[in-house]
Amino acid sequence: MEYVAPSTLEEAYRALDADDARCLAGGQSLVAMMNLGIVSPSRLVSLRRISALRGITAERDGSLRIGAMTSHAELAALDAPVAGAALLAQAARVVAYPAVRAFGTLGGSVAHADPAADYPVALVAADAVIEVGSAAGNRRIPATDFFRALFETALGRSEIVTAIIVPAGPAASRAAYEKLSLVAGDFAILSVAAIVERTARVAVGCCGPRPILATGLALNDTALREAARKIADASDPPSDHRASAAYRRKILPELVCRAVRAAQQ
Amino acid sequence: MTSKLPMTLNVNGEPHDLIAATTATLLDVLRSSLELTGTKRGCNHGVCGACTVLLDGKLARSCLTLAVDVGERPVTTVEGISGNEAFSPVQQALIDAGAIQCGFCTPGFVIALSELFAREPHAGREQIRAALSGNLCRCSGYVKIIEAAESLAGAAP
Amino acid sequence: MTIGLNPPRLEAGDKATGRARYVDDIELPGMLYAALVTSPHAHARIIGCRVDAARAMPGVKAIVTGDDLKGPRSGGIIKDESMVARGRVRYVGEIVAAVAAVDRETASRAAEAIEVAYEPLPAALSIDQALAAGAPILHEDYASYVKTVPGGGHDNTAFDSSVEEGDVERALRECDVIVESTWETQAQHHLYLETNGCVADVDAAGRITLHATCQSVHHIQQRVAEELGEPTARVRVLATRVGGGFGGKHASNIHSIAAWLARAARRPVKLVLSRTQDFEIQRSRHPARIWIKTGARRDGTIVARDVRVILDGGAYADESPAVLAFALLMSRGPYRIPNARARGQVVYTNKLRAGSFRGFGNPQASFAGESQIDELAAKLGMDPVEIRLKNAMRPNDTAFGGEAVRSCVLTECLTRVRDAQGQAPPLKPRSGRKRGVGYAVMSHVSGLMGTAASVSLLSDGSVALATGCVDIGQGSDTILVQICADALKLPIERVSYAPQDTDSSPYNWKTAGSRSTYMTGRAVAVATTEVREKMLEHAGEMMECGVADLELRPGGAIGIKGVPKTVSFKEIAMRSLYRAGGPIAAHHGFVFDGPGFDPKRAAINRLAFANLGVYTFGAHCVEVDVDEATGAVEVRRAWCAHDAGRAINPVSCEGQIQGGFVQGIGYALTEAMQWNDEGWLTTVTLADYKVPGILDTPPEIHAIVLEDPDPSHPVGAKGIGEPSLVGAAPAIANAIHNATGARARTLPMTPERVLDALDAR
Repeated sequence: MEYVAPSTLEEAYRALDADDARCLAGGQSLVAMMNLGIVSPSRLVSLRRISALRGITAERDGSLRIGAMTSHAELAALDAPVAGAALLAQAARVVAYPAVRAFGTLGGSVAHADPAADYPVALVAADAVIEVGSAAGNRRIPATDFFRALFETALGRSEIVTAIIVPAGPAASRAAYEKLSLVAGDFAILSVAAIVERTARVAVGCCGPRPILATGLALNDTALREAARKIADASDPPSDHRASAAYRRKILPELVCRAVRAAQQ
Repeated sequence: MTSKLPMTLNVNGEPHDLIAATTATLLDVLRSSLELTGTKRGCNHGVCGACTVLLDGKLARSCLTLAVDVGERPVTTVEGISGNEAFSPVQQALIDAGAIQCGFCTPGFVIALSELFAREPHAGREQIRAALSGNLCRCSGYVKIIEAAESLAGAAP
Repeated sequence: MTIGLNPPRLEAGDKATGRARYVDDIELPGMLYAALVTSPHAHARIIGCRVDAARAMPGVKAIVTGDDLKGPRSGGIIKDESMVARGRVRYVGEIVAAVAAVDRETASRAAEAIEVAYEPLPAALSIDQALAAGAPILHEDYASYVKTVPGGGHDNTAFDSSVEEGDVERALRECDVIVESTWETQAQHHLYLETNGCVADVDAAGRITLHATCQSVHHIQQRVAEELGEPTARVRVLATRVGGGFGGKHASNIHSIAAWLARAARRPVKLVLSRTQDFEIQRSRHPARIWIKTGARRDGTIVARDVRVILDGGAYADESPAVLAFALLMSRGPYRIPNARARGQVVYTNKLRAGSFRGFGNPQASFAGESQIDELAAKLGMDPVEIRLKNAMRPNDTAFGGEAVRSCVLTECLTRVRDAQGQAPPLKPRSGRKRGVGYAVMSHVSGLMGTAASVSLLSDGSVALATGCVDIGQGSDTILVQICADALKLPIERVSYAPQDTDSSPYNWKTAGSRSTYMTGRAVAVATTEVREKMLEHAGEMMECGVADLELRPGGAIGIKGVPKTVSFKEIAMRSLYRAGGPIAAHHGFVFDGPGFDPKRAAINRLAFANLGVYTFGAHCVEVDVDEATGAVEVRRAWCAHDAGRAINPVSCEGQIQGGFVQGIGYALTEAMQWNDEGWLTTVTLADYKVPGILDTPPEIHAIVLEDPDPSHPVGAKGIGEPSLVGAAPAIANAIHNATGARARTLPMTPERVLDALDAR
């Protein structure tokens, strides 16, 4: 396996333009897969030295631009000025374990797109945009379009996630992330990200290949639970070794309500 | 056939020149090339924490770190924790509390506790449990590990 | 002097600093690495195996396949295994071939180049599939296998046994209240942090030396010698530091394979399993289906218990007959139930073998039995503690099977945990959760088989202690030294402890069955006493007085009672080495010699044990919070009272109790090995198989160590390694019921299962 460690994005794009070349971000997912023999890249392009991928900056329109190589720990420590970023920070706090959070990155996790991971659902709820770069230039893809299927994203060959942009959203919005897992640090059995202002915008994870998005949910208890039940009925969750589809449908309404209530606190 | 690259790793304060496969993890290199076998391989896929080291002062799973990607960032293993002393305060506390049974998880816990107490000398129970949430122990049930940590926190000036 | 104190473990410093040497830390000059070829089929005939391409690869030094093996089958009580598969594979992951090469990569590529042709056969993946009419038969040659205990097996039943006392049918007809239910338990994995592995070395004459992470050097020596067709004296086994065992590191084919390859290559061979391989190849706990019917009088006196146990034994019998026996014996529960019947069988299925695992059938039996006691209590309108106190065994009762129980503090264990929970500062339930309190009691045994110890006086009056007892992390090294030092009134630094090496260590069966403190500790105490007697004789001659006038003085001396005059151990040693008597040493060995079962009391059919051990008792009380909307269960606090007979090292006892309880939390709530329809294990990484981490465990697990000395042990000590795992699952199940009225009867009690039980109320 070839290893290259470019210092600029341009060098990285060129290095990625090869069969079976992959990016190495934090390595917390990729190296595990390599160790298990699940992937064997022919070339690894380390993003560690590319300063353009780091940093968290406020943009002029109030949105937050989070560099792809921001670690979960940095994100978790963010004193977020906007609800969407606060939601990401909450999700970051429950990713895996301390050592994984120290080196795992937002960009790496987003590109990996494990449907049981914490970011996809938070990003969809936050109406975030994934900024993707290539030799041909940058493009921005809404999170709702970015996550396609199991471990499948809208990333093209030789493209790199460069940043995540979280919009400011209404000033009075609050956010909460609710996760049910078998043990702490595990992938979710079901997760819900909620942003609440006068209505709730809710994304549900682990109920299909992509997060389920529901917007404009009324906040009163009965209406919320009814809407959540409709989301459950329409969902197509998997049955896997963690839980059955029937179970996920059963608890979905409760977790949606909990996420919304937590956001309101 | 995977290619090999020369690299210099800064481990426990000393530079080490070595040649390793590009696919070699830091764990592989520590244990084989550097013969620092204190860091353990429990699962090799980043869950058990037995391979925990400090990388650039932060907790890292050495089984998920490619050796070739470490660069100049300093690495600390359990062998480097006590400096010139026989035992560091963390190690002594674990020994005294009876928190060590089979010992395979112990180096990982030593690193995790060392990192915690370096930034939070008076860490409370919940901080201790959060800091150790990535280290599995199958023997002790964690109770005496927490007791060891709390005694350290209580004894800190 | 040292018994009852808590000296730090002898090897704790090495473990804390990374100096302790485990198997994978061993590098020998010229060492080769082994790679394995394993079966992708749950059940198949092996048509052929081609190794030419692999053998031709540079760096490949030895290969073994089933074609190379000619000797008889090996194994435990039923010799149904071979080192690598011969003729047939019976589970996905079964080893079919092994390669030794100069590095791991070459070994891997060579293994991939070995071509094995299979003819897949229909597989039986569950108890029901294996027992169904027309099921594929896993062991067609079963009748011809050597069996050390006759097993009554037929079709896919590997073994069946029964124990019966009194007249269960009549008693059930005559009682006032009956409860009847069926429970299912899962395959749990030991999940020792260090995987199985060994390094095999060979000398110029082909004599094997094995370094193994193991629970018995003698057991591996015996197994490897058997499988290689060598006299035992030509196999030497040394124990490395062991990173956890829990019953999963008894002899297995990997030791023989490594030895075979080393002998063929004439170089050392390292074979250490990856985590995935360890899941797929080694052993699990027996999944079980248990049906129990319990009958009682209106006043709460339990008069009858009828039990049926089916254990899923996997593809090879391993220790299944013994696990079955123990499950049956424990299924009556630690109660004075005069009419009890337990019948059971072990079934072959096309999954990895199930074998020994902390609790050894008791966790399964107690999950069912102790859950049902609460069901009975509910039906009678009785308090769960009261019904247990009313029916609990007392000293001098007999256990199921008729073995006399001389000491029994069960009621005290139960009242201690009840009172401790009652007096503890109240702990508020988590917001929105329902709190429940649950109880379970357990008995277990400590004993079994044979062991020995040798004690020698060194030239300066220090002492050298040697046993064959392997410390798998539970702390036996330290407590055995404490026993020896205590008997001589020496500080523990004056007693050396030899590593386990079949060339020099006295025999020990295994570190298993909670037996080390009781059995090997007893041997150590007796051998040390013999050395003391010899020293007293010398001292008497040296000081010209009768032995009756002498006493030990702390720190290594013998003096005349009431008089300051002493001789030191050193002076005695010198005399013995240079003047008179010769080197002072003693060796004591014995086989467990307890009373055994009582055939006048119990009708015993094909139990794999002749007798068991001394009985120990315990009780658990747990507080749980249940989330009724999701079924999630959190254990908030636990009190675990266990009788250690005499706590040699109380902190070590507590550590064992707490660790066992947490392994029990995993058994109760989160751990399950799962297979797909093709017989592939799907939970093969720690991302899939979940054990409790620190955030999943209550920081408050109160270990209460009671001391009810056993008269057959010089120090009174009994074992404590296993019981704490046994009580966790039923106590948690009972607490869930107490909180919500929901009864979960399948393990693990995942949020989904608990929610189903809540919905079924």
